[in-house]
Amino acid sequence: MSLLEIENLRAGYGTMPVLQGISFSVEAGETTVMFGLNGAGKSTTVNAIAGLVESWSGEIRFDGQRIDRRPMTDVVRSGIALCPEGRRVFPGLSVRTNLELGAWTRRSVTKEQMDLVMSYFPRLEERADQLAGTMSGGEQQMLAIGRAMMSKPRLLLIDEASLGLSPALTQIVFKVISQINADGTTVIIVEQNVGVLPYADQAIVMEKGTITFDGRGKELAATGDLRELYLG
Amino acid sequence: MTTLATPFSAQVNLIQPIIDGLAHGAAYGLLGLGLVLIYKSNRIFNFAQGEFAGVGALMTYMIYTGYSFLPKLPFGLAAVAGLLAGILTALATERAVIRPLFHRPRVVLVVGTVGVTLLLIGVEGLVFPRGGALPTVDAVVGLDTPYLTKIDGVPLLYQNLLTLAVLAILAVGAFLFFRHTNTGTAILAVSQDSTAARVVGISIERISMITWGIAGLLGGIAGIILAVPPAGTVLPGAFTGTILTVAFSAAVLGGMTSLPGAFAGGLLMGLIEAFANADYSFIPGLSSLPSAQSEVAVAVVLLLVLLARPQGLLGREV
Repeated sequence: MSLLEIENLRAGYGTMPVLQGISFSVEAGETTVMFGLNGAGKSTTVNAIAGLVESWSGEIRFDGQRIDRRPMTDVVRSGIALCPEGRRVFPGLSVRTNLELGAWTRRSVTKEQMDLVMSYFPRLEERADQLAGTMSGGEQQMLAIGRAMMSKPRLLLIDEASLGLSPALTQIVFKVISQINADGTTVIIVEQNVGVLPYADQAIVMEKGTITFDGRGKELAATGDLRELYLG
Repeated sequence: MTTLATPFSAQVNLIQPIIDGLAHGAAYGLLGLGLVLIYKSNRIFNFAQGEFAGVGALMTYMIYTGYSFLPKLPFGLAAVAGLLAGILTALATERAVIRPLFHRPRVVLVVGTVGVTLLLIGVEGLVFPRGGALPTVDAVVGLDTPYLTKIDGVPLLYQNLLTLAVLAILAVGAFLFFRHTNTGTAILAVSQDSTAARVVGISIERISMITWGIAGLLGGIAGIILAVPPAGTVLPGAFTGTILTVAFSAAVLGGMTSLPGAFAGGLLMGLIEAFANADYSFIPGLSSLPSAQSEVAVAVVLLLVLLARPQGLLGREV
């Protein structure tokens, strides 16, 4: 049984449909990267998994249990954490408080988890008492991922990890995500940056709310010029 | 050159305005705390805060006096009923007005609270068309005199001391609540980014209910403490008409997001008003006005502070 199974999922905003009945599954312990142009439905997919966007029809099963239509609090508690597009840190709260809020559904913050997050991103420890809104974009991205990790998720969803980051910082973030995956957390990354492909066990390409490729990352890399074929 | 009509008197021009200013300022601060709480969580000016106080005071009065079919109960029980009324009114406001409009522009929510205010004033008028007043603390406890002592002949009223003490306790309590409790932190988180709060698993609906419940409790406390003679009254719309506007100014002066700021802003407003009323003849400009010296003084100070420090005295810009 796969950790995450999605069957014929349809979802959208208001009356505007975005996902046109997609199906895919994600195996435990793997990193899945979702590619596609703006508007392809990548963010809607991870937002629907996290419960931020309501599913219209179809099923989302996590560890065999249906999670679609469940409140987001329950979804987080079941072991899914979302690092949303645009980071969305709490700007007027300190880095430490942002991280503590990441453990909201666990009701207590373990020192072990805080230390683990700080070990992924030592910069956060240096800035623990700084207001999150005063940090750079790269630091806020680190904080957003760190905050998501505070809930000890089994599945981490990251929407546009490299958006607005320099190439060097992007590689640092990708390496940390790879480490998080190596430590046992299953990861789904939404990306337009093909530089993440070497980290992908599974690759999914989306176009206009449908899946046009679902296979191993190496297969997608072998298809030639990925940017030209799938990303416009 | 202005000619002084009367010589300076420490009693009239210094001690009396200090005591009056602190008493009135505490009233502004009490309502200001509720305003800041809602602003911190929902980013709106809650015009209904004055009527949360009004409902609390009215319910306390009606039960304390056995109004109409209601049982006549001791003041303590009547006050508990008043606090519950304040809380329930705020919760109903949250459920019926705020939650359905939560994702609309903030101005829509503000107008919603104006509507709640008008509705509550109307209902209060239907239920209780005549005026009244709650007993002062010395009357409830059964003290011989209404004052603790006199300073240069000016009485230091127990009621004013109680108001100040309650304001200080609530301001510190609310500050600690936001600084040191999970729920307080969650309220701040929701106010800064409700989507991000959902992402970490915070129930927006639950936090909103808690926040408005606390605002109703603060309103109820303010109503019970402030609806006493000589200035206070239990009358439909009294709090909205007399205290709310100045309480808004106090909250803005203090820094709108700062609970200690609401405390400080309230006291400052009260002192400015009292000194302007007592000492306007010594102040060039104010002395030439036929009336409304205190309002002009408050407006000038408010504008000067906001020009120099737009985030208010204790507010913080992020």
